[in-house]
Amino acid sequence: MRVLIVGNGIAGGEVAFGLRRAGSGAEITILSAETTPEYDPCSLPYYLGGEVPRERVFRRRWEDYRTAGIRLETGEKAVAIDPASRCVRTASGREHPYDRLVLAHGGSLFVPPIAGIDKRGVHGCKQLPDADRLDRHRGSRAVVIGSGAIGIEAAEALKKRGYAVTVIEVMDWILPALFDPETAGRLKRRLERCGIAALTGEKVLRIEGTEAVAAVVTDRRTIPCDTVVLATGVVPGVELARTAGIDVGRGIRVNERLETSLPGIYACGDCVETVDACTGEDAMFQLKHNALEQARVVTRNLLGASASYPGAWAFARAHFFDTHAVTFGKTTRATQCELGDLEIVEREAGDDYLRVIVKEGVIVGGQAIGRFADAAGLLIGAMWRRESVPALRARRALLGDGPHGTLAWTTRRLGELLGLAG
Amino acid sequence: MAERREIRVIAERCTGCRRCEIACSMGHCGMPTPERSRIRVLRLPPEGGHVPVLCQACEDAPCLKVCPMNARVRAETGAVITEAEACIGCRACLYICPYGAPAVAPEDGKTVTCDRCADLPGAPWCVAACRDCGALEAVRPGEAPRRACRDAAAALRPVLRPAGSRRCGS
Ligand SMILES: Cc1cc2nc3c(=O)[nH]c(=O)nc-3n(C[C@H](O)[C@H](O)[C@H](O)COP(=O)(O)OP(=O)(O)OC[C@H]3O[C@@H](n4cnc5c(N)ncnc54)[C@H](O)[C@@H]3O)c2cc1C
Repeated sequence: MRVLIVGNGIAGGEVAFGLRRAGSGAEITILSAETTPEYDPCSLPYYLGGEVPRERVFRRRWEDYRTAGIRLETGEKAVAIDPASRCVRTASGREHPYDRLVLAHGGSLFVPPIAGIDKRGVHGCKQLPDADRLDRHRGSRAVVIGSGAIGIEAAEALKKRGYAVTVIEVMDWILPALFDPETAGRLKRRLERCGIAALTGEKVLRIEGTEAVAAVVTDRRTIPCDTVVLATGVVPGVELARTAGIDVGRGIRVNERLETSLPGIYACGDCVETVDACTGEDAMFQLKHNALEQARVVTRNLLGASASYPGAWAFARAHFFDTHAVTFGKTTRATQCELGDLEIVEREAGDDYLRVIVKEGVIVGGQAIGRFADAAGLLIGAMWRRESVPALRARRALLGDGPHGTLAWTTRRLGELLGLAG
Repeated sequence: MAERREIRVIAERCTGCRRCEIACSMGHCGMPTPERSRIRVLRLPPEGGHVPVLCQACEDAPCLKVCPMNARVRAETGAVITEAEACIGCRACLYICPYGAPAVAPEDGKTVTCDRCADLPGAPWCVAACRDCGALEAVRPGEAPRRACRDAAAALRPVLRPAGSRRCGS
């Protein structure tokens, strides 16, 4: 059997090496648009910030492919799939036949339609070549457009490299997809305490400069700078699939076996549209753990099992300098258009903050800063088990916390954390 | 190759004496500093008893998947440990852990978890220190499946007798 994998990222690598680990004798080829062995995009900001040497971003070495008998075709960007002849064509014009095809080519940086975006000094922070270019770039004043997790991580890295850094966010609070305004406001203050300016509710109109960047103009001001980093989000790569007649929505559509609408063609990672494991709703979380878990399901199905994917989960940390925060599940905003009683449990102790979103008696999401974040795992567990918060309250009122209590310690900690006095 | 072993927690025997923490930090850092211990005794509020918390080296460990630096790795011994040179101290492993097991080293903010004292021929330090109470037991993986250890660590009803009725060494 010939297995062809498009994309040598987190998902693609996991499928290829997973097949071999399971003893598959398939002929495995990976088509990679890039020129290096697999690296981890999540590591890039820390290489850029000088916290780890460049070699730490790699998840594999060249010899890993050789030893595993996996053919890695670098600089081979897939441009078309011909499902009739079971063949993938690359930009170089070569054709690669397959019996099973795995689409694991992730997504690409969303480039906003801003005038001047092509000027010298405007960078992405999505792939290793982006980080390498930023590493070589010499500048002193940077503007980061977009305050998602990648934007904040890029801002911290540039700050550590000695840049003066301004982050611009069009929404009214930073990290808008991950945190509620109440949590984000606290994070913003901490970011500013670290010397990073964060401008929210502000729109970038254009980038000025003759050839190189000289300033970013927003609807409120002009910010002189020599470096711009685009952190404006990742759009799932759907073109390759769409042009082959594969069903796509926001991402490539897959069934629960992660097979696309064309039999024998699977998809995993940032390019797929899936469901939220907790709620069953459509989800596009584009996170590493989801890419890995999806890849493992695809691997098992390629091996002949019938594995189904339970869905993706939202979990992200926000970490810069000495600030440590975490978010999981839904934000309040994400629950806004839903029916059902919403209860927000908040706790605050000094700089530490906890916010738990309870809907219809079960935890659906939460955010924490500082010490409260250390117990996030307990809350996530309760969310996954759909534990009833009112029942926990009632049990606690009945049995109390005394030495004769009979609740599991994780449940008791949970009760304490939620401040459920009963 | 180092011997594989597990540490079984029998929480109702824990008296909260925290000798395991002292022993762990002595063994790993040469200093009796509980903040550096990879096992932590959690005191349940108020008078709710104690439970020793340590990394359960889960089979499908979520920390391995969320670490942005791939610093969480499974050692030959089956333990899941943090490679210090790769760790950037972001605490993702701590936040996703169902027990909040990883400890944050005070000196560099990196996480550390129990390695089952892989290099030690005898019992792990914490187990040796807990000999009188017997809340920690070293077992071979065959003797107690990892899952059983893990379930015990989480689901136990830890306090079945009034706190203080049994003291360490009594
Ligand atoms: C800076 C940054 C930080 C991040 N931090 C985190 C984090 O902390 N936690 C987290 O969970 N997630 C994080 N993510 C997201 C995480 O990296 C992705 O979810 C994950 O990499 C998705 O894996 P993938 O295999 O689908 O895509 P990728 O890892 O992006 O791999 C796709 C590969 O396919 C290649 N490719 C694309 N098109 C083609 C083509 N036509 N032909 C051949 N090859 C092609 C690409 O060049 C790339 O190498 C971060 C992402 C970035 C960019």
